[in-house]
Amino acid sequence: MTSKKLIMFAMIFLAGILMTNLSSAAGVNATVCCEKTITNLYCQNVPANQCSPNSKQVPTACESTSYCKPGTCFDSNEGICLDNTPQLVCNANKGIWNENHPQQCELGCCVLGDQAAFVSLVRCKKLSSFLGLQTNFNKEIKDEVQCIQSVRNEDKGACVYEFEGEKTCKIITRKECNENVNKTDVVGEFFKGKLCSAEELGTKCGPTKQTTCIPGREEVYFVDSCGNPSNIYDATKLNDKDYWSNIKDKTKSCNPKSTNANSASCGNCNYLEGSFCRKSGNGNARASYGNYVCADLNCKNTENGKSYKHGESWCVYDDKGQLGVGKNAVGSRFYKHICINGEEVLEQCADFRQEECIESSIKTSVTFSQAGCRVNRWRECTSQSSKLDCENTDKRDCLWTYGSEEVPVTEAAKGQASLPQFIACIPKNAPGIKFWEGEEAKSICSQGNSQCIATCEKGLFSDKKCKADGCVDDKGNADPFWTASKLGICTSLGDCGDNINWIGTAGYKQSYTINSKSKKSG
Amino acid sequence: MGKRGQLTILVIIALIIVAAVIVIMLYPRISVLINPKVSPSSYLKSCIEPVVKSNIEILSKQGGYFAPQGNLDYKNQSIKYICYTAENYRTCLVQQPRIKGHFEDELNNALAPKAEACAENLKKEYEKRGYSVSLSEIHSNTSIVPGKINIEFSMPMKIKKESTQTFSKFDIEVDSKIYDLLMISTSIIDFESTYGDSETTLYMQYYPDLKIEKIKLSEGSRIYIVSDVVTKESFTFATRSMVWPPGYGFQQ
Repeated sequence: MTSKKLIMFAMIFLAGILMTNLSSAAGVNATVCCEKTITNLYCQNVPANQCSPNSKQVPTACESTSYCKPGTCFDSNEGICLDNTPQLVCNANKGIWNENHPQQCELGCCVLGDQAAFVSLVRCKKLSSFLGLQTNFNKEIKDEVQCIQSVRNEDKGACVYEFEGEKTCKIITRKECNENVNKTDVVGEFFKGKLCSAEELGTKCGPTKQTTCIPGREEVYFVDSCGNPSNIYDATKLNDKDYWSNIKDKTKSCNPKSTNANSASCGNCNYLEGSFCRKSGNGNARASYGNYVCADLNCKNTENGKSYKHGESWCVYDDKGQLGVGKNAVGSRFYKHICINGEEVLEQCADFRQEECIESSIKTSVTFSQAGCRVNRWRECTSQSSKLDCENTDKRDCLWTYGSEEVPVTEAAKGQASLPQFIACIPKNAPGIKFWEGEEAKSICSQGNSQCIATCEKGLFSDKKCKADGCVDDKGNADPFWTASKLGICTSLGDCGDNINWIGTAGYKQSYTINSKSKKSG
Repeated sequence: MGKRGQLTILVIIALIIVAAVIVIMLYPRISVLINPKVSPSSYLKSCIEPVVKSNIEILSKQGGYFAPQGNLDYKNQSIKYICYTAENYRTCLVQQPRIKGHFEDELNNALAPKAEACAENLKKEYEKRGYSVSLSEIHSNTSIVPGKINIEFSMPMKIKKESTQTFSKFDIEVDSKIYDLLMISTSIIDFESTYGDSETTLYMQYYPDLKIEKIKLSEGSRIYIVSDVVTKESFTFATRSMVWPPGYGFQQ
């Protein structure tokens, strides 16, 4: 072998070693689709070193793999479909995986006695079996509202039939009475609008002093001696023959315009107004008859001093700092409060002010407050250069501002680009940053850096006179308004510059510097 | 009344006291002797019900797993991630599509040895009462349905004393609202995996007995506690979906 060939061979060998090392170094941190991570999570796009040693890993996104491709998982036992389920997770859990939405997951209207559910056929069969009903599924009905409406007009009344030699009765729909009573093939005689305790029906069922709650209904109901629910509980109607004979509408029952919360004599609860049928005791009042009352679900004197109805939600931002002007305190956060069953439940919006709480109210005869946590769209603010784009609320949550209220801007100049050196587009609610780790905080806050070039002249017999776009005074000293504006803008970019924390304590060191450099010419 | 009469009364009172003490001390055995009939269903129910409830409590706090893997540690509690993504700005991938089915499997496995022990104890109880009992292989099956948990004891048993009675299985029901809580949780997971978040207020407005607490952690995980305000039962699970990181999310 010649020396030339030897050198060539050595070079190829070294290059090979180098390439192997480089690729293995890159391989450690390259993102792979990992079948199972070291933390036992399935089908995650993670760096290769987070992948479990014995699991499959491919240097591509999981969507592109055969084993981790997300799709719809159908649980044939319950009739439930779940989207975004990886194939291997679905198969491992005895589900049926499909890349697209399978036929079995198509929804339709499932009639369950006098109620309805908008579910798949298999789910409908399951629900019907729980209630001992025949499956009644209508796939022609394509939306939930129409489905629920379809059972609203069903006739309801007393279904009289013979059972073990006795004339008995059940309150059901006409259809159920004509098809199957009590999960049997017995066909009964239907009396629309009648109660089983009506004397003229001659059944064994009669009035009692007992009451009950019915699933899916808000009111307290009397119960007859056969266990059938009768009319809404009204203590004054205990011995009223007509009240125990005919089905009465809610509007014709006791105090229909009241919530009847904690009423001992009336069970006409109103869920929308904040009362619901519950067992008496345990903080609820006691009824004159029976063990159920209309419990009060509304919240009184909440954390902000106001009272709210059951189901209402509202925003709370009680940390220090200001809202909507880019002056949020470090560590502050938005909260949504909800009134549920007389209890004030708190829900945080995402930390680092990545979500903000928005609130609105529905106004009918009363006001119903609704709040929600929504993503803080601050990311594009600093790249906007016009007021129109900056304040486009369809796209972003930004503010076209001078940075500080101290800037002496006339009303006419406000909103105009007449003082461009001061104006900037900043987030309405400054996002939080992990300023204590990594380099990203620096890159975000550095967008607040500002430079002002002033030209100063000193004549032979005159004082120094400087010219700049408002950033320095005549004598070359930094203009306090310019400084205030830039500091305001800096703070609004995130947890940058001088700020206070969520309990109002100021930072212990100055978070900005003003440097001046001079260069002589001429 | 003479002295003799008083003494007799005192002796009678003393005898009554001694008898009462003996009855109290030996009550369990005496109850067997004086109550020759035992209802197998009631016996099995009283035996298995506390175990069912304690197991449900453990499973409910951990996302339906006794030993969750792929979990979140929060306040000394290990909670299973039912839906998870390690990435930012992405919806989660479902980690357990059969929440109710898996809960049922875990419960079934935990109850099987206890169910066997209950059946064996029932046999011993009958034998104590003088019955001759033949008991074949015992199988139990747990199913969660709306409003209750059904435990089916498949245990062919023949008891004989003056007459012979034959049983093939016993169905035990334990009241529980866990089915509804698991179904609501499945629906929340559907929202999380499709849209990246869920609106809990709507669920609570629609279902009057329901309370949902959502705890959002700094790194993007969410803990859901779905509970029934009437029965106080609850189900806890974790998700990580559509995470908006601090800053632009360039650093992990």
